[in-house]
Amino acid sequence: MKPARMTIVRIALIVIGLAGLFAGAVILVQKERPDQILGVIVWIGAAIIVHDGILSPVLLLVDVWMRRAGRRIPYAVLAIIQGGVVVGAIMSMLVLPEIYKKSIGSKNPTILPLDYGLNLALFWAAVAVLTAAACALYLRRARTRTAPVE
Amino acid sequence: MRRLLALTQQALAAPPRNPRMAVVIGRLLAIAFLLCFGTGLYSHFLQEPEPWMRFSTVPAQLYQVTQGIHITAGIACFPLILGKLYTIYPQLFQTPPVKGPLHLLERASIALFVGASLVQITIGLLNTYQWYPWNFGFRQVHWALSFVVIGSLAIHIAVKLPMIARFWTRNSEGTRELRGETAADETPDAVVAPVGGVTGRVFRWIDGSPAAEPAVSRRGFVTAVGVSTATVVALTAGQSFAALSPFNIFAPRVKGTGPAGLPVNRTAKAAQVLDTAVAPDWNLTIANGSRTISMSRAELLALPQTTVDLPISCVEGWSQMATWKGVRLRDLLDRVGADTSQGLKLTSLEKKGGYRVTQMGPEYAFDASTLVALEVNGETLDIDHGYPARMIAPGRPGVLQTKWLSSLEVEA
Repeated sequence: MKPARMTIVRIALIVIGLAGLFAGAVILVQKERPDQILGVIVWIGAAIIVHDGILSPVLLLVDVWMRRAGRRIPYAVLAIIQGGVVVGAIMSMLVLPEIYKKSIGSKNPTILPLDYGLNLALFWAAVAVLTAAACALYLRRARTRTAPVE
Repeated sequence: MRRLLALTQQALAAPPRNPRMAVVIGRLLAIAFLLCFGTGLYSHFLQEPEPWMRFSTVPAQLYQVTQGIHITAGIACFPLILGKLYTIYPQLFQTPPVKGPLHLLERASIALFVGASLVQITIGLLNTYQWYPWNFGFRQVHWALSFVVIGSLAIHIAVKLPMIARFWTRNSEGTRELRGETAADETPDAVVAPVGGVTGRVFRWIDGSPAAEPAVSRRGFVTAVGVSTATVVALTAGQSFAALSPFNIFAPRVKGTGPAGLPVNRTAKAAQVLDTAVAPDWNLTIANGSRTISMSRAELLALPQTTVDLPISCVEGWSQMATWKGVRLRDLLDRVGADTSQGLKLTSLEKKGGYRVTQMGPEYAFDASTLVALEVNGETLDIDHGYPARMIAPGRPGVLQTKWLSSLEVEA
């Protein structure tokens, strides 16, 4: 992109962006009471705190632990395990509130009709089996590759 | 503190955390956001149309698809946004934390962007579970935040545009530099001088570990994000898309459940119509100015009946195809001399609720497949499906498929 064109695009995007922020603020002020707007602000603040203050430091510790563990365990195996944990954790993040909501009751039986707790347990079991299989496959291949040396 | 931040940032340097990856994941996330925004606008205006707006009644599954995409793309945003945040995560610890007023503005705008986006997808998800642990109105706030999120996205792209351009393709200048094919013209961030004390020892302990293998690390990251996204979609989208329904083990709705194999949102009990809906003197009133007719359920059943296959498509994303039987709405409107340019006001028996009285544009009112339905899937309408009579029209949100009809008024 030519610099002049990029400048025009950037200015246009900022104008669109500011218009969006303005529209959002106007809708919020028009449709919600002050205490409800405060509620929205609290939620956004809480999201930032949960992300920046809890998720990120936890990830930092996991990262550090991974780098240390990298001395003893092949890196690819760690990456596969990490991948399995990520898939399971993200699914759990979506399903745990659902399990809780079902436990406090739904308005009718067609809302949240499944046994989500059982399904999540089975899902984790499937993730564990697939992760272990992937690790085993990798290690077998790695052994065949390095057999003459080791 | 500044040193601690710099050291943290250094310790966090990992192969997937690079601008190219941020661009790749960011692009996917932007597509998901725009899909949600576009389908959300469509859903909003279907429910609150401007007077001049007309909508397409074909294909009949239009809203089923747009709203299915809205919810499914929203669910896909969870792994994508977490992946995106992971790629840029060391930035959180950048030093100095604030370089000047503009930098402060940039960081504040990103905080708002991240916070608003997380809240937007979270309240959207919880709405599909019909769980509202907050004091504000879901619809209003979801609507307002959509503009905040898209506005922040535009500003974010504007700020990062030079970087995005440098890493846009596999062969962009920045991407090639990253691969080490060309010499970097910028020196990397200055390496922080070692520090003593506990901090120093902690970081030496970290740095003493072998570095990750870049290719494995990058491939692992992309695979994890990809598999997570595919998994959350595959195991929930069956509530909206029939092809995926065998894999639906986590969605809040399941196709084929409920009376006559059709899920229910608002029950007759919740709408407080348990008595009025079964009252023997129930009549459907159809009015056009001073011309008014009134018909009992028996009289409606005596009229020519039409059978159509139309989906119930909820704003919460689930949908269900069903076979409806009843009287064509336009036949009833002909009886009061309505003109094909006129819309309708529908009133339900329900005592209260935002959708007790709704509007219907002429494109739906005079569509050949719009029925005052009396039966569904070969059975008399269940009271939870709107007995004695309900509206069913192609391509409209479920909340506008008025149940427990009481009156239809042609609008002047």
